[in-house]
Amino acid sequence: MFRSRRYTQVHGPRPPLPAATLLLLGLLLGLAGGLFYAWLINPIVYINAKPAQMSASYQEEYLFLVSQSYAYSGDWDTAEQRLAALEARDLPQRAALLFERYLREGEPAESVRNLADLTRKLGGENPALALFNPTPEPPVLTATPTRPIATPTATLLPTPSSTPRPTQTLAPTITPSPTPEPTSTPRPDFRLLSQRRVCRAGEPAPLIVVEVVDAELEPLAGVEVVVDWVDGQDRFFTGFRPDQGAGYADFIMAPDVSYSVSLAAGSPTIGGLRIENCTNGQPGGWELTFQNLRLATPTATPTR
Amino acid sequence: MANWKRVLLWLGLGLIVGVSAGLYLGWVAWPTEFTNTDPSILRPDYKRDYLVMTAQAYVLDGDLTAARRRLYSLGEPEPDRWLLQVTVDAILSGRDEASEIRPLVQLAHDLGLSSPAMVPYLTGSGTGGIEADVP
Repeated sequence: MFRSRRYTQVHGPRPPLPAATLLLLGLLLGLAGGLFYAWLINPIVYINAKPAQMSASYQEEYLFLVSQSYAYSGDWDTAEQRLAALEARDLPQRAALLFERYLREGEPAESVRNLADLTRKLGGENPALALFNPTPEPPVLTATPTRPIATPTATLLPTPSSTPRPTQTLAPTITPSPTPEPTSTPRPDFRLLSQRRVCRAGEPAPLIVVEVVDAELEPLAGVEVVVDWVDGQDRFFTGFRPDQGAGYADFIMAPDVSYSVSLAAGSPTIGGLRIENCTNGQPGGWELTFQNLRLATPTATPTR
Repeated sequence: MANWKRVLLWLGLGLIVGVSAGLYLGWVAWPTEFTNTDPSILRPDYKRDYLVMTAQAYVLDGDLTAARRRLYSLGEPEPDRWLLQVTVDAILSGRDEASEIRPLVQLAHDLGLSSPAMVPYLTGSGTGGIEADVP
């Protein structure tokens, strides 16, 4: 019937639009209007929200604050409640990523350490976490056949005896004890073992490469390196690039800046490090090797 | 006339369905993403908690600039006055001294705020470290 009317009224009034077209037109207009209103005129504004509704960057800030607060108060229950407000299933991963970012950006060591503690507590994994053990222990020295370093054992200390040998004289300040008292927190002492200019082809920028070794020239991880220049400072740790070795750390140099490098645990400050041209004209950096001396020294030595 | 009714019927029906769908999509399915949403949207108790953590972090790192930035990000109309209010409230309601009151007092003090309620914590009888600006 409809078809016959169209054909019969060729020059008559316009034929009506089909119902489906009208419905579709209304649907599209309504959809556009609804979206315009919901997105632009009256968008959802969160108030009285949880931390989970904050943007990702502020959630990271929140996570950092929880780590600091936990370090300050030691209250894990409260920290857990705060973390739960983030409603995130991937908290360990997020904490580990944040820890890594702070480490890379050279944030203060204490802040990074607190983040490491939180990450570890949450079960997050990151190779660099090993650099921030909660109770750092000095490397244990083992006796080597090549160097006559005395191992601090109880047998090396003079022990009280009822029949002291008349030829042995004990220093009056020594208090004999059956077991040696371990030093509480031995502060390592480093010396500069070598300093040389490095010219590496293919490096995007010259580097200050710091290698730290222990008394037996084994790479030493987790040593804080301090780089100072006229209007700034950076701190970082050895061992963050395991592919380069546990005692390795580096720093990108800028032209016309004089740097000085030292180790936070105590070392000579090596100053005046600038980019200098190599023999082939290529700008070169520096490689410094520090050696830990203090821990190599036996804490108990025989008196004879 | 019947034709117009028919047009209005189908167009109106489409509009109703379309608007409903648009509102659902715009408010529920794909709501506007506020990429710069800051802690100012937080519920008051979360804001207070955020402030306490800010004060604790300040005690640890001594970074007053960061502490001020965090305080201001909470979006209170008068941030300093609000910090002072939270601090005094913590003192008067007997919150934990070591973990809450002292960090808040130290932050408030270092931002140049003062209140008689803060004085006992400024003279540093316990953990010490804060010098009171007492004449």
